[in-house]
Amino acid sequence: MNPIEHPRAAQTFHFVRADYDAATARAALVYRFDDGPELVETIRFAEAALAIPEGREAAFAAALRLLHLIAGISYYKAAVPERIAVAGVPLDAAFAHLLDDIYLHGLGEFAHRNGLDLRGRIRFPHDAHAAAAAPRLGLPRRTLVPIGGGKDSLVTVELLRAAREPMTATWVGRSPLIAACVERSGLPALNIDRQISPLLFEMNRHGAWNGHIPVTAINSAILVCAAVLHGFDAIAFSNERSASSANLVHDGFAVNHQWSKGIDFERAFRTHVATRVAADLDYFSALRPLSELAVTRLFAPLAQYHDVFSSCNRNFRILGDQPAERWCGHCPKCHFVFLALSPFLPKTRLVAIFGRNLLDDGALAADFDALLEVGAHKPFECVGEGRESRAALAALAERAEWREDALVARFRERILPMLEGRDLDLAALTTADGPHFLPPRLARIFDALR
Amino acid sequence: MSFLTSDHAPWAVLKFGGTSVATAPRWRTIADLARARVEAGFRTVVVVSAVSGLTNRLQSLIDRDLSTAELTAETEAIRAQHLQLIAELGLSPPAAPLGWLDRLAALAQQAPQRRRDFRWQAELLSMGELISSSLGAAYLAATGLRCGWLDARQWLKAEPRPNQSDWARWLSVSCATKGDPARVSELAAQADCFVAPGFMGSDADGATCILGRGGSDTSAAYLGALLGAERVEIWTDVAGMFSADPRQVPKARLLSRIDYAEAQEIATTGGKVLHPRCIGPVREAGVPMWIKDTQRPELDGTVIGDEVARDVLSVKAISSRRGIMLVSMETVGMWQQVGFLADVFAQFKKHGLSVDMIGSSETNVTISLDPTENLVNSNVLEALCADLAGVCRVKVIGPCTAISLVGRGIRSLLGKLGPVWNVFGAMPIHLISQSSNDLNLTFVVDEARADGLVPRIHEALVKGGALRADDRRVFGPSWSELYRSAPPVRPEWWRARHADLLRLAEERSPRYVYHRDTIRERAAELRAIAAVDRWFYATKANAHPAVLRTIVEAGFDLECVSPGEIDHARAACPDARLLFTPNLARREDYLRVADSGALLTIERLDSFAELAAELPGRDVSLRIDLGSGHGHHDKVRTGGAKSKFGIGVDQLGEAARLARDHGLRIAVLHAHLGSGILDAAHFGRVYQELLALAEQVPSVRALNIGGGFGIAAHPDDSALDLARVGELLATIKQAHPHYELWMEPGRYLVAEAGVLLARVNAIKQKYGRSFVGLDAGMHNLLRPALYDAHHPILNLTRLDEPDAIRADIVGPICESSDVLGGERELPATAPGDVFLIAQAGAYGAVMASNYNRRAAADEVLL
Repeated sequence: MNPIEHPRAAQTFHFVRADYDAATARAALVYRFDDGPELVETIRFAEAALAIPEGREAAFAAALRLLHLIAGISYYKAAVPERIAVAGVPLDAAFAHLLDDIYLHGLGEFAHRNGLDLRGRIRFPHDAHAAAAAPRLGLPRRTLVPIGGGKDSLVTVELLRAAREPMTATWVGRSPLIAACVERSGLPALNIDRQISPLLFEMNRHGAWNGHIPVTAINSAILVCAAVLHGFDAIAFSNERSASSANLVHDGFAVNHQWSKGIDFERAFRTHVATRVAADLDYFSALRPLSELAVTRLFAPLAQYHDVFSSCNRNFRILGDQPAERWCGHCPKCHFVFLALSPFLPKTRLVAIFGRNLLDDGALAADFDALLEVGAHKPFECVGEGRESRAALAALAERAEWREDALVARFRERILPMLEGRDLDLAALTTADGPHFLPPRLARIFDALR
Repeated sequence: MSFLTSDHAPWAVLKFGGTSVATAPRWRTIADLARARVEAGFRTVVVVSAVSGLTNRLQSLIDRDLSTAELTAETEAIRAQHLQLIAELGLSPPAAPLGWLDRLAALAQQAPQRRRDFRWQAELLSMGELISSSLGAAYLAATGLRCGWLDARQWLKAEPRPNQSDWARWLSVSCATKGDPARVSELAAQADCFVAPGFMGSDADGATCILGRGGSDTSAAYLGALLGAERVEIWTDVAGMFSADPRQVPKARLLSRIDYAEAQEIATTGGKVLHPRCIGPVREAGVPMWIKDTQRPELDGTVIGDEVARDVLSVKAISSRRGIMLVSMETVGMWQQVGFLADVFAQFKKHGLSVDMIGSSETNVTISLDPTENLVNSNVLEALCADLAGVCRVKVIGPCTAISLVGRGIRSLLGKLGPVWNVFGAMPIHLISQSSNDLNLTFVVDEARADGLVPRIHEALVKGGALRADDRRVFGPSWSELYRSAPPVRPEWWRARHADLLRLAEERSPRYVYHRDTIRERAAELRAIAAVDRWFYATKANAHPAVLRTIVEAGFDLECVSPGEIDHARAACPDARLLFTPNLARREDYLRVADSGALLTIERLDSFAELAAELPGRDVSLRIDLGSGHGHHDKVRTGGAKSKFGIGVDQLGEAARLARDHGLRIAVLHAHLGSGILDAAHFGRVYQELLALAEQVPSVRALNIGGGFGIAAHPDDSALDLARVGELLATIKQAHPHYELWMEPGRYLVAEAGVLLARVNAIKQKYGRSFVGLDAGMHNLLRPALYDAHHPILNLTRLDEPDAIRADIVGPICESSDVLGGERELPATAPGDVFLIAQAGAYGAVMASNYNRRAAADEVLL
């Protein structure tokens, strides 16, 4: 049976090969189900030809293999077959377990929504050999900062700029919204293009499994390749503390929509990069010790970005002059970012960013309740913790210019009395706190918050 | 060299903005215009802005914390840009602009120490205009004009105002407008022509200060007043003020002449062409101000002055302002409470906030605040509300948009605003304000709901006769007439088939005639939208078997809404793929249709359970009501809380669960929000909304964004830009290629391909109104009666004769709504003439009835 036309019947997912063509600066990642046609994903790391720098060949090969194995998740999930087969040098146990984890947790939401249980199903083959440690490459001291178009990466840019860190802004894909944010930052830019195999869409048309994939894990692996090729010794993501918490626990399994933005992934991935790719390539999140509220507090004064950024997941990264084109106003991201910014911005400016006042729309009561985690579970989106939303609303309940707005009044009257004794202190939630992997040279970027 | 102008020559002041001074060709235009004025006997002052972008660049030297090296790089880049311009102008670098460039470099280096010093900021910001004006003076002199540089700072003297902040004292000054004739004469003796920097003046000590917003236009107005000029000309990128912002309303009319007060009102309420500050000085001095287009100097433009036709009672313009905040103050104790308003307004004064509009009732006062720098960027609103909370219950509402109808005598026009009220419909209006100067009527609504309101109100004003666009004393051509190349007119097919149609009507009347090539042409236009993977034709629009076959041959599948339509489509086109999209259909209907192989559209939650047993594992389409309808008439909107179509967005999660539980797969999400849509952006919005929803349902592989492609029916309609629709869809598709995109137009394919032919039964006059009675009526073509639809109607027998009468074109049915076209211009018409009712190919024959026992029209395909 052709696995493209009968995706759910596929038995084995093959990692076939990964090549890099210096003339076009393109990597080709090749996969296959059973004996079906090859699925080829291409990633272009530069506009022009780009050779692998001398002395970094082994590191790049390790980075490309990591990318090949992680990016396979988009295809694997179409069929979730019984077996995984990896061509070439066998994986060692630690590498295989890293991949098992990324696939299992990264597909947590996908499995939950599709009613699948992947525990025990994902087993990357490995043998008993021990892998050699990667050497230092003497990478130049400069940081690659991925930009997402939302507030987080822009906060990272400004924190690192204040620390006089040399940076290049980078993004994967062709989003004009991200391009506009990068342009506003004034930083040198590196745009990376990624083309998914069209056969995957063909499989989807024939009823393949579909759903959320851990795109941060894929982008992380892409940037490791980029760092080796272009010469960066650090990759600074912008994942905050609350990305580590689960959305729900189902049948004893914690499902986190943003697992690849959590600290478990960060720890495992950075360890792999430092030990298997290059000892002097540092992968970390610059915002890890911060809550969402702390990030929004830092973002609030960055007025230069207010009319270009968007955290909305439903605007599809299409650039628009009108607030309604950048903020749909209906998704949990819109609701949360509006709420989280509200204690830190003049009301007039905040409602101008969104083009409307979401807290004065009674029809959104249930959506905000979900953010407060009263009753409902946390939405499947990258939003802050319930206590952050509760503290923000409690702060607004005290403010004369907000307190009569429909949802603030409702919070005051119906929800606040139920929260007696709960911690509603905004200040405590906006300090820098908790484990992180910031390098020593950036250790002081949160001094203002301490 | 001799003076071209006499000692007592009148003054003219011409102002040019940043783009006009940025390139050598544009400077040549300035020189030509200045020379023309001088040769016409005017002593001429050219006021210029800084090269475009430079003022923002200077501001960023203030705002950003740059290192010495970065500051040097910035000022060197500015120097290089100007040296290049000087070279392009063919000048050897003149001393004056070089001096200002040096001064700029020196000032910039002081940024680390003086960034917060307003006096330093003012001087730094003035450099752009000092450079451009001194450069311009050198250039105009080099072209042979007797031209000098006029230091505007010597003329525009800042006047201190009470309670002026330190910021305003340096960066937002107002100046005196009384001139000194002796100084003017002295100046006149120096040259024929001057170039002066805009944007700046000086204080009593001679230190440079900045005029702030509206800068260079205001400079020109001040200089016009101070010099007692005969005219001030603002040269910009558009030929004047319009009855609405042309970017929103391409049909907006040029305002040929308006008075100062109206111009001021338009500028204040949101008109973008002029800053309101620049009217005051010319108004006080009685100097007429012209607005002209630099690229099109031959256009008349707008003149603002006292000489206007005061007897033209008309709304002159509609303008809008965004970002308005309302403060609503409520107290139960207000009834007859003395001093409540005084207490409240004292708080606004205390916080330095200027109140714009006020609405009040016994227990509530609501005021509006403009989005000033202060309101947007400081915590003043928080502080104000905290204080107000001591005296009343306060609520802040916003962001709002204020929409103002401007025109002298607005109070006498309320009777003609009926169509405007209809535009607002059920939308909440937070505040209505009618100013006592009888110049404006303002509505405040939620900004998020104001999208598209201005064009619709403009249209309602014109149609209701409140905006007398036909009065040439006030109104000129429309913006689109002036600036848009006319869209290629598609010749109507029936003009070429005139004789055939007359013959067909002689044979039998009434009858529908369809033109196969036009259907093919429309189908090809749609198929050219590459982003769409699959096209369906909504067969209900016109189900004539030959029409169906033509469309299927053009690559369309068929969409049917009833078992009857399915049977009909199967019989006409046995091989076509079918989509079944019923409304509140019975289970039996679904099961019957399922046998035909059609893809079933579910649009109520119960259907999953009803169909599960018989159709296990089946793919279905799910119709969603996105909650807001669009379309040319209430009755064709198929989305929104009152609409009976689809499931609610809030029911999607439940639908996905039901589908899974009952073993059905939601393979397609479908939304269709209405018909006759002429706004390209609509289709992108529906696509994006469906994409967002699709992410929640993993089984979805295609999105059906419906149809609704509008056809320009009314003479004022602009046609839907299909190319733009295609681009928009392609942009979104590129980001989300894994969903197929489907569409299902109906009317677009067939409307223009069909005409209804009828003959005149009789003609009569009554109470001064004429009626032309046809043998076709609402029983043949229901759309005018049902939707108020507009169909072009022509006397085909006398196609080339001039219009001579104005008549209602009616049918023979005993219903007063049996009017096919109201108040149409027609040639002198006689009984027996053949009439053609155009755009009748869609929802014509299919909606016919035999009401009144009148016969149906037959259908002919050409």
